[in-house]
Amino acid sequence: MILTNIIAILMLVALVSLIIGSKFSRSLPYLAAGSVVLCFFLLARFASNNHDIFHQAMPLLSVPWITSLGIDYATFIDSLSFILVALTLILALVCILVSVNEIQHHHNFYYFNLLTALAGIIGVFAAADLFLFFFFWEVMLLPMTALIAIWGHENRRYAAIKFFIFTQVSSLLMLVAIIIMAFIHQQQFGEISFNYFDWQRLNLSMPLQYWLMLGFFIAFAVKLPSFPFHTWLPDAHTQAPTAGSVLLAGVLLKTGAYGLMRFVLPLFEQATVEFAPIAIALGVISIIYGAVMAFAQSDFKRLVAYSSISHMGFVTLALFSFSSIAYHGAIVTIVAHGLSSAALFSMAGILYQRLHTRELSKMGGLFASAPRMGGMLLVFVAAAFGMPGLLNFVGEFMTLTGTFASHPVATVLAATAMIGSAIYGMYLFQGSFQGKPHAGVQIADLLAHEWLLCGLLFALLLYLGLFPQSLLMHFEAIYPAANITVTGGKL
Amino acid sequence: MKLAQFIAIAPELILSLAIVMQLLLIALKRSQHGIAFFTMSAILLALFAHYPAMTQVNSAVTPLIYVDVFSLTLKVLILSCTLVAVWVSYGYLRSAVEFHDEYYVLLLLAVLGANILVLANHFAAVFLGFELLSLSLVGMIGYLHLRQHTLEAGFKYLILSATASSIMLLGMAFVYGATGELSLAYQVPGQQNLRLLGQAGLVLIMVGFSFKLSLVPFHTWTPDVYQGAPMPVTLLLATVSKAAMFAILVKFWLVSAIFNNETLQVLLLSIAIASMLLGNLLALTQKNIKRLLAYSSIAHMGYLIIVLAIQSQQSVAWALKSGVFYILVYILATLILMIYLAGRSKAHGVHDQDDWRDWQGMIWRRPAHGACLILALLSLAGIPLTAGFIGKFYLFTVAIENQLWGAIAALIIGSGIGLYYYLSIIFCILAKPPVTQCQTVAVSGGSFTISHTTVMAMLTVIIIALGVFPDILASQLMFQSEQIPIIFNEAALKSEW
Repeated sequence: MILTNIIAILMLVALVSLIIGSKFSRSLPYLAAGSVVLCFFLLARFASNNHDIFHQAMPLLSVPWITSLGIDYATFIDSLSFILVALTLILALVCILVSVNEIQHHHNFYYFNLLTALAGIIGVFAAADLFLFFFFWEVMLLPMTALIAIWGHENRRYAAIKFFIFTQVSSLLMLVAIIIMAFIHQQQFGEISFNYFDWQRLNLSMPLQYWLMLGFFIAFAVKLPSFPFHTWLPDAHTQAPTAGSVLLAGVLLKTGAYGLMRFVLPLFEQATVEFAPIAIALGVISIIYGAVMAFAQSDFKRLVAYSSISHMGFVTLALFSFSSIAYHGAIVTIVAHGLSSAALFSMAGILYQRLHTRELSKMGGLFASAPRMGGMLLVFVAAAFGMPGLLNFVGEFMTLTGTFASHPVATVLAATAMIGSAIYGMYLFQGSFQGKPHAGVQIADLLAHEWLLCGLLFALLLYLGLFPQSLLMHFEAIYPAANITVTGGKL
Repeated sequence: MKLAQFIAIAPELILSLAIVMQLLLIALKRSQHGIAFFTMSAILLALFAHYPAMTQVNSAVTPLIYVDVFSLTLKVLILSCTLVAVWVSYGYLRSAVEFHDEYYVLLLLAVLGANILVLANHFAAVFLGFELLSLSLVGMIGYLHLRQHTLEAGFKYLILSATASSIMLLGMAFVYGATGELSLAYQVPGQQNLRLLGQAGLVLIMVGFSFKLSLVPFHTWTPDVYQGAPMPVTLLLATVSKAAMFAILVKFWLVSAIFNNETLQVLLLSIAIASMLLGNLLALTQKNIKRLLAYSSIAHMGYLIIVLAIQSQQSVAWALKSGVFYILVYILATLILMIYLAGRSKAHGVHDQDDWRDWQGMIWRRPAHGACLILALLSLAGIPLTAGFIGKFYLFTVAIENQLWGAIAALIIGSGIGLYYYLSIIFCILAKPPVTQCQTVAVSGGSFTISHTTVMAMLTVIIIALGVFPDILASQLMFQSEQIPIIFNEAALKSEW
């Protein structure tokens, strides 16, 4: 029930704020934040009561939904979904904090969209039925598009349409693959089923498995985003309102990684092994391409957006190297990138509110008037380029260590991007906060709620960076990591 | 004829009687309101007459007509659309000075034609229904003859529709020549040696149907006629006419198991794929919502006829269910958009209010209307939470079950292109309201009443309900039309010989 309850609470609060929110728009952030905190509390209580979830998938509520096709409303939780749901809720709080001053009009509809997007994302992590998964996959898309299209920056309509069409078309490919899988289940076991656990028993022949895997992979690679499918991302991130960027970078991209971990790797073992060289090449290209492109940007948010492509390339690389260290590295990278990119986008939003620009050339010398903000930005930039002691370092280190054994060349190439990330990171920081101040540019330093969100993110990055075991200990027993190394090695 | 047979076709008898009574009523007393309410009650009565008719399913009434669950379902759908059309027309025409009695007579005639088409089991009945529907629609399309585009649209429809009918008639003659049989079950499936004459006949009949369903390459009339016709007539064209033609196409296709014919299967699939792609591409740049809906209807009919491209008898029931669900969903969404448009326009206006850029910022001014329109557009685009997605999902299942990979690719690409224009309209509705002086004049015109809002809201609720719980309807759509299995069984017997 727990995840269903969380989704229900978020949807309910979303509806309440839509219907009666226009009367008291000032207090809407409190309402939204309250509901998110409540959800987080419920999740934490559930986790402390059920230590089992950290060992194996635990089915939750399941009720028949569309009986003629054997579709259930079925949810489950395991440590991967738990970590991602927790990350989503933390970033939800960040989103609400950055929206407090930024959103000037239509507050009620804004919080409606924000909360339904969150509910959809949590649904994606919770679904055990692939039809349900697809349903939530799309449900999170609509409000996200509305956030970009209504509260975005100058070029928002173009960015929103591009974002929507990319994800929708790729997910239709996934839908076709899902339906084919259901029919295969009907052929092999006599009844049609969209259930994830039923599908694990399927026996797929090779060329078919490869095509099905491609259907899923493309949908997830668009979300991730991986190299040839990335072009929606810089536009969407740049044009979205701050909370939209935080949500996009922090969680929405992670649904792609989640899909790869949850569906592509376990369901299509043979095909992924065959596909691995291509996927690893795409990952390495993403890493280097993202870093090089980031380096050439003059727009704060665009720079961070390209750096996201680079970081998510590490996830692809790690997942398709089939080593358990790299797999754990991917999980750490997901969390680390979620936190650090959310932090950087929040900084971009905070700066935008004060300066009304994202152009690095119009910033500069801000350290003089806002030293605390500068300090925070430096920390987050350091996190993004993998400073030891912060979480991103752990993720990248584990990824590179894990992949080196099987793919030395790819690893060496990927490692060069670490240098690139240091360069664009420093470029970002120096461009905005160091150098000569522009005449008359004075900005206010961090406000109370901004302190809160920066402090929260920084504390998490530092704590998990120093004690990554607190994250990783949940994954020792589960997954496939061990199991797939064997099959991957043998095949 | 027995009483049971009369009960089976009671709705049609009621409609015919109502048409005669309408003429008498006009002779007696001319009244705007009287005739509208009479028409409405006649349709309601015909709708209720389906309850007794339910008991008489799977029976032939004369060789011309065969009543089964499929046609009853479609008839209920058609009559419900007509009900909406009459009500919308009443609001639309009310404001004019002159009387519009004949409009309602034409409307009932068109619906009678549609009903006959749906029931038809014989080429004579097909042609009868086809002509009744087309000729009455010609009168209705050109009804507001003082408008600039209306007369043009009427003539276009008249000429092209007459051409299509005559081509179809020729096709029927060919089939008769080849088989000596005019019933829809003209050929015994399994014995697949229709001579060239018969094959050519089938293709020609397909041309007639494709014209009415506005499938590529017989689609060119659609945007002009949609745009030129008065708004309620466009509504009728987009819903009643499409549903009826879909029904007869399904019967034509399944009763004689034409899907076993490779050539026609390929022809159908290429028509479908071309319609999906071309319809969506042509809709991209339209500023006029009626033209846009016309092009999108081309694409939707292309999606829809995928259900006909089945490979085996086992798929028939599921394909029919998917097809009916899809057309229902399409009609629901179209109705919402068109009710809004019809409510905003008047008969004596220079033209209908049909530029979607006027909708800018509607969600902030009139949230209820904006929300209904957005959901209707999302449903047309096939996005989850709305019934349109479930419809598309069903189509995907049919296409995958029958391994129509080309059609699936076109469906995905078409949907991708379609998203662009649906999203453009949605973003326009979501945009900041324009700041001009004449805005109030532009959007507050027409006969829009609270009842329009209510009906739109109700239809939207249905769309959402079907999108979230499709089983409430889908589990009811069971087409165990005995007619089709019977013919299949015969085929099986014959092929054993």
